[in-house]
Amino acid sequence: MKVSVEEIKVKEDKTVRELMDEFQLSTAPILLELSGRIFYPDEIEDRKLKRGDKVTLIPLIAGG
Amino acid sequence: MKVRRIEKVLLYDEGTAEKLNIEEVTEYLRGKLGKAQVTVRGNPFAFWPEKSSDYARKLASIKIQDVGRKIAPGQEPLYGEISYEKRRILGETRSFGVLYDGFQLQRVFSELIAWDEHSLKVVHIFFTNRLFATWEESDKRYHARTSVYGIPSLISTTGLVEAPAKPREYYLLKQQYEMLGKDLLELKGRLKASFIDYEDERLTEVIKGYAMQAVFYHLVGNPFCEDKGCRLYNAHWQEELVFAQLESRYEFCERHTKVLDSLHKNESER
Repeated sequence: MKVSVEEIKVKEDKTVRELMDEFQLSTAPILLELSGRIFYPDEIEDRKLKRGDKVTLIPLIAGG
Repeated sequence: MKVRRIEKVLLYDEGTAEKLNIEEVTEYLRGKLGKAQVTVRGNPFAFWPEKSSDYARKLASIKIQDVGRKIAPGQEPLYGEISYEKRRILGETRSFGVLYDGFQLQRVFSELIAWDEHSLKVVHIFFTNRLFATWEESDKRYHARTSVYGIPSLISTTGLVEAPAKPREYYLLKQQYEMLGKDLLELKGRLKASFIDYEDERLTEVIKGYAMQAVFYHLVGNPFCEDKGCRLYNAHWQEELVFAQLESRYEFCERHTKVLDSLHKNESER
């Protein structure tokens, strides 16, 4: 699982789910930042991204 | 390693152990973070008194009944469970016998954050004495946690005591003490240096490291470090926790010290 705060530029129209699969984040609950707005795991699965969107995907992480 | 800018760190006290000195944690973070503002916000529920019944219902519905069964979305709570949560929200009780789903608890607490402060540039840290756990697909059960990182990050003072396993010696001796009918407090006293207990004098010092894990989550996307002597080490044993937070010769490993130094450097270049 990649852990980073890198911004990703979306290359083609796709859903957040497809982008998560691409980045091997499919089992982790994640936060999505899109245009400065934060979306929670229950808000993002079917959200559509457009080519050129800049997003950051950050997994929620548990400790201990 | 890409480092994001942090504008502010907001600390919330959602009912914690009395031994936690949040002001001391605040001063510590100010010293580490250069220009970022660090502010104590107090009880997050105090901003939304009209919604206390709604939040009570939501909290009651994310209670784990059985650690071997993942909670179903929209679980319908009992009246008594909602009533207990409302009393907790209103500060009428500080008890902590309930186990919550950690990510769902984080989601409920996210609703207490002002909409314009939902940002990767703002670190929200909720200190709580609620105990939470997260579901592990690998063994199909919940595991108690010290913390969850996201927006907001949650750090549990109860989790720090209950989640990391105590030394093996403790469990062996505990069996003997129980068989002989001896006082378990004596055992705790005997091994107290090797684990964190309730109302522990060392709690504030330990919490500083966990608050920094929340900060690093925002700075680099990862709260943890592989170095057992770094405060960002993800301890699964109490002895590891005590070493990383209290006994190590250094606070942060070289790599993470450089990240913190860069915050001060960027500040002086501005």
